[in-house]
Amino acid sequence: MAGQTVEQAAATLTAPARVRPRRRRSSTWVGWTFILPNFLGFATLTLVPVIASLALSFLDWDSYSSPRWVGLANFERMIHNETFWTALRNTAYYAVGHVPLTLVAALGFAVLLNRKLRAVRFFRTALFFPYITSLVAVAVVWNMLLSPDLGPVNQFLRAIGIDNPPGWTTSTAWAMPAVIMASVWRDLGYYMILYLAGLQTIPAELYEAAQVDGASGWQRFWHITVPSLRPTTFFVLIMLTISSFKVFDLVQVMTEGGPGRATLVLSQVIFREGITQGRFGYSSAISMVLFVIVLTVTLIQFRLQRRSER
Amino acid sequence: MKRQLVTAFIGAAALSLLTACGGGGTADQAAGGPQTIKVALWNYATTPEFKALIDGFQSANPDIKVEPVDILADDYPQKVTTMLAGGDTTDVLTMKNVIDYSRFATRGQLVPLTDEAKKLDPAQYSGLDAYDLEGKYFALPYRQDFWVLYYNKTLLKQAGVPESKLQNLTWSDYATLAKSLTKGDGASKVYGAYQHTWRSVVEATAAAQTGGNLLGGDYGFFKDQYQLTLDLQKDGVLMPWATAKSQKVTYNTMFSTGKAALMPMGTWYAATLLGDVKAGKTKVEWGVAPLPQKAAGKVTTFGSPTAFAVNKNSKHTDAAKKFVEYAASEAGATAVAKVGVTPSLQSQKILDTYFGLPGVPQDDVAKKAFKPDEVVLEMPVSDKSADIDQILTEEHELIMTGQKSLDAGLNEMSKRVKNEVG
Repeated sequence: MAGQTVEQAAATLTAPARVRPRRRRSSTWVGWTFILPNFLGFATLTLVPVIASLALSFLDWDSYSSPRWVGLANFERMIHNETFWTALRNTAYYAVGHVPLTLVAALGFAVLLNRKLRAVRFFRTALFFPYITSLVAVAVVWNMLLSPDLGPVNQFLRAIGIDNPPGWTTSTAWAMPAVIMASVWRDLGYYMILYLAGLQTIPAELYEAAQVDGASGWQRFWHITVPSLRPTTFFVLIMLTISSFKVFDLVQVMTEGGPGRATLVLSQVIFREGITQGRFGYSSAISMVLFVIVLTVTLIQFRLQRRSER
Repeated sequence: MKRQLVTAFIGAAALSLLTACGGGGTADQAAGGPQTIKVALWNYATTPEFKALIDGFQSANPDIKVEPVDILADDYPQKVTTMLAGGDTTDVLTMKNVIDYSRFATRGQLVPLTDEAKKLDPAQYSGLDAYDLEGKYFALPYRQDFWVLYYNKTLLKQAGVPESKLQNLTWSDYATLAKSLTKGDGASKVYGAYQHTWRSVVEATAAAQTGGNLLGGDYGFFKDQYQLTLDLQKDGVLMPWATAKSQKVTYNTMFSTGKAALMPMGTWYAATLLGDVKAGKTKVEWGVAPLPQKAAGKVTTFGSPTAFAVNKNSKHTDAAKKFVEYAASEAGATAVAKVGVTPSLQSQKILDTYFGLPGVPQDDVAKKAFKPDEVVLEMPVSDKSADIDQILTEEHELIMTGQKSLDAGLNEMSKRVKNEVG
């Protein structure tokens, strides 16, 4: 355990002769007090609400009247609700689009910007910038770019001979791709930084040796870079998956789940049912389902990772 | 020694964290002495009626101080719901719409005001009956908005259309007129009319003027109004709905920059226009006409009242009730009318105050617009209203963006309301 070794090290420093058990107990206690403020924050703001939400999913509660035990009724209602299934499909659609595209784009730009280029810092900053920009601003700008009749994107498409460019956020078929596009653009900078950090850890000798053996650029990328980045990729994949399933803000500002229900995602349904309609029990039931989905997908990824490590 | 100090310090930090969460204002004494009541409201700086009411009330009741709790208009219903869920003690709550009102009232969050409401004359108070929940009242209206047709005098004059023509418009007259007023292209285009993206523009109009029921689950009565709107959109008379929605175009921009000649909108917009003209933000010369009708004759429009209610958790119930009663009184109505907002109490005296304001259109067309024969509630109050509103909004988007044909959209609306809300 890391805690123990630190403790031992501390003990050797202060009392090299022998460690008295009482002393050790009190230093454990000090250790706990160090994480206590953080843990208290986590417990009151995350852990307790999560447990309460689990309990709420079996109750009928509007936050005013006293809660009523309804057993599995909330889950039953969910299974028979078309909006829930639409939102679930849309969430999966978003994740399936957002995760691989962001990953590939982040890795691509990281490899590109890991070289000694002119103004490399400028490009790195430029790509990271969207990530720290206000999300509302991002959504508004993308909505302008993608405006069906006057937007620059469609003007460009018309200029190159596409007579009927997509309606983007106003079309049921194109609204989700538009949202995915905007979200990839926004997120890739952050994951690119993670990849850049990963790339710095690969020893240059590996590439030199491969070059001596006559490996092509692509071969070097495929056989050295990709395997060496496996831990980073694993981390990026987990973070991306979790954030994709939880997507809320970008959709809320760009399309509000529309047109119709074309971009409605689970977290929006949770918000609507809970905060807007005051059905906290039902809303908690949906958030439990979302929790289980994210947990399952993450566990599968962990298992796959462990298997590939063997 | 050092270690103990550290421990004590961390303990103190953790404790202060905990107590910070549990903090909150302490209520001042309810009995005697000067009191402070808090009023939950929205966009205090740009909604002049609130300041007018608070100032008027404070000068009539110098022993009560009013503190506004300013909330962003768009977040208002959700914010108040969350506040109430957390046991907030804000004394007076503004009821932004009747759906929220019925929700708060049926959950027992509001102090009953039945006795106070019974003192008001329903013939004079437009919108009072919207707060009747099986004979009980939990809020008193102070303001009543309804829909009228705003028009740009300059654009009408340029096209040679006399304003008196707007006194008795039918929807087909409106369409013909809007077509004739459309001109230009690209960025300099002037639309004959602007209809905002809200579903009410089409749906509540149809419901009010055909007697259709918005909660009924059978929406065939929307058809004519949708057809008219879709045709105008196709002819380029209206800005495409999809553009307006995705660009988050505001109706104020469209009208006050002269990009639209006609615009159906609520009476609240008059206050904005009066303020903006006074502040030099717009130069548009505007007039108001009655909302166009299915057939010429009686003027039927739709609208919603706004009211104040007293929070059940309030520690100053009596002072809060006084404020609510003041807002509904003649003095309150006069204060509201003076800033260009239409009060719920619509006696001749109050109307005279309103039309006496500099900048308010004085002509017969405007006078007729401000005295509609019938104002139907925008959305009937029921525990299903919010769910149905959601479905109607989603299908409205699909019809207006052309993602679904009109018939398919209307069928889907009826089907979904029957299946999902039941």
